[in-house]
Amino acid sequence: MPDVRVTIDGAEGSVPAGITVLEACRKLGIEVPTLCDHPAIAPIGACRICLVEIEKQRALQPACTFPVSDGMVVHTRSDRVADARRFVLQLLFSERNHFCMFCQMSGSCDLQDLAYDYGLDHWEFDRAFPRLGVDASREFFVMDHNRCILCRRCVRVCDELVGNATLGVKHRGAETMIIADMDVPFGDSSCISCGTCLQVCPTGALGDRASAYMGATDEISRVKSTCTGCSVGCGVELVVRQGRVIRVEGDWDAPPSDGLLCEVGRFGLQHDKRRRARNPRMRQGDGWVEASWDDALAAAAKGLAAAGGDICTLVSSTATNEMGVAIAAKLPGIKQQLGAVLLDDSAGLAAMDEADLFVVVGADLTVDHQVASFSVKRGVRHRGARLMLVCDGDNGLAPWAFKQVGLDEAASVLDVIKGAQAPVIVYDAKAASAARAIAEAVPAAKCVAFTDGANTKGLAAAGVAEAFAGGGAKAYLVVAGEAKSASERVMAVLEKAEFVAVQASYAEPWAKVADVILPMPTMWEKSGTITSADGVQREVRGAVAFEGLSDVTTIERLGALLS
Amino acid sequence: MGKVTLCSDWLDVCSGCHMSLLDIDERIIELVKHVQLLSTPVTDLKHPPEEGCDVGILTGAVSNDHQEEVARRMRERCKVLIAVGDCAVTGGICTMRNFFDVEEVLRRGYVETESTDEGQEVPRSEEIAKLFPQVKAVNQVVKVDLHIPGCPPPADALWYAITELLAGRTPVLTDDLLTYD
Repeated sequence: MPDVRVTIDGAEGSVPAGITVLEACRKLGIEVPTLCDHPAIAPIGACRICLVEIEKQRALQPACTFPVSDGMVVHTRSDRVADARRFVLQLLFSERNHFCMFCQMSGSCDLQDLAYDYGLDHWEFDRAFPRLGVDASREFFVMDHNRCILCRRCVRVCDELVGNATLGVKHRGAETMIIADMDVPFGDSSCISCGTCLQVCPTGALGDRASAYMGATDEISRVKSTCTGCSVGCGVELVVRQGRVIRVEGDWDAPPSDGLLCEVGRFGLQHDKRRRARNPRMRQGDGWVEASWDDALAAAAKGLAAAGGDICTLVSSTATNEMGVAIAAKLPGIKQQLGAVLLDDSAGLAAMDEADLFVVVGADLTVDHQVASFSVKRGVRHRGARLMLVCDGDNGLAPWAFKQVGLDEAASVLDVIKGAQAPVIVYDAKAASAARAIAEAVPAAKCVAFTDGANTKGLAAAGVAEAFAGGGAKAYLVVAGEAKSASERVMAVLEKAEFVAVQASYAEPWAKVADVILPMPTMWEKSGTITSADGVQREVRGAVAFEGLSDVTTIERLGALLS
Repeated sequence: MGKVTLCSDWLDVCSGCHMSLLDIDERIIELVKHVQLLSTPVTDLKHPPEEGCDVGILTGAVSNDHQEEVARRMRERCKVLIAVGDCAVTGGICTMRNFFDVEEVLRRGYVETESTDEGQEVPRSEEIAKLFPQVKAVNQVVKVDLHIPGCPPPADALWYAITELLAGRTPVLTDDLLTYD
């Protein structure tokens, strides 16, 4: 369609036909306030704060839903508009119980900001003081209906972006309430705690437990980084105040997930209950003694050297590429990854938004690569894509699937896959060979292959390409990072080893097998790059300081002592 | 020209707003050059004189019949009435009790409080003010000419409002001077 000419606040401009007045305003650099509108979801015109005056229209119109037309003349700053917006704000404040003085979001609230902008110094209408509940049944964040303005951002992101459609509304008008499923407590609902609703809530209705009252907008800074929770590689914004990460948010501008995070990425590290390993320590008899870095490194080097050359370094895939390079270059012995290694070429997450048929082989995306499961769910819900599961046993995506077959029955569904326009085969290390067989039979299909862990591919490229192969070495160095566990096989080998040094962010579960523990920065504290499943190198940026040797320096010092 | 006369009083309140008024610090010396304080809760004379004053300041919400009386008296006796603080402006934190019945509130306050000895009862007397079922903002009881929200309002907001009024202008709170917390 050709562009159309519009005049907004006297400024003439040419904008693409079909966009909304709000988008046109933004293209022309004119600010229009919004509450219910969010760039990532479809507009619904719920809050009316974006009302503008459009010539030849009888009433004021919401800019967020009104399409532009050729010759349109818009006024966004007339007295009529300002009065209407002030009236809308008065109505919003009169409806529920908005009290900034004890609200955890005061200072970070779109509603409050607008009330300040429009100079609301008192409420004109009596308030109903409806007795509304607070739903604190979820572990990580709380729904306070008192602060809700019913903008439905939460409902829409849950449906449109995450595809989970847990949230909805009951009743109509002033009785309207945000609910989960068929009006059950949020904690008992189908909610997967991805926190996308929390991130988009414009008021204090959804509040993060960990960062409540911890810092308002003008007290925090944001650092863009990459989540190392899995191999999807979502962009995160670490919200920092006074040297602490108080909250993690999705980075709307960062591929591959464009602002979406899962429970692991948003809340995992924040709510990790394990004690941080802060000081180096060494085993002494049955207990532990804290040691200086020099002494601990010397002890680690001595223990490892005692094994002659028979050393194996086991690396968690939370380690950066720079760590991979350092480990490969500086340390003697063999180097392996703690988890499974899958190095298949993979299309990016974006390919899943083009699919008309998802063939998920073996993997349970709702557990291991949750953000990828969002792509499947929203594809099924909103694009008419279909999901076929090729796996044995339960799978979290089963309710979205039109067909599920066992891994040994894959051949029976090849015709269905061949019949699809844009099939995408999604798999991980659990059933890679079955997936490869399907891919070979359907060359037109794109493959999205998630490796276990986060930086498996990057570590492999750096020279740590093998997976743990059953042990056999005398001494081990485990580069564990934030890893919460290792397989029983690994732990059994470590228990029997003559000497084990561990570089980890947390002492658990390594304390029971380690002889020396060297603290390691978490993904909030270290800097470097990782290579996610799609082969793209993404930056991990430390947002807060780590008191101790950096991850790479530790390896280099250890390497120097061992050479 | 004589000094501008000012009276202030407090209703259902923590007294923080009057503390904020004192937080204008040494500017109070400048203030009393132009303003005569006739009555305040923190000076000897507590009640606005019958002959009236120029400016009346009320802090706090209207929670009971006594406070309504105080608010009405201030309104009658002042030319310009300023509601200062969130409680006066919106009912503020005092309205937290609006979600409970009055009897529940009294029982919680006088009987069930953790530090209350066993066997205490809610005091009942004709002389004790009666709680309203709902806490109100001052402008729900009397006409208010100027609102200065904040919990408490910044001293600068109070200073700005007073000096603007002295200069014969209507204060318009903006930026950091307009705050709800």
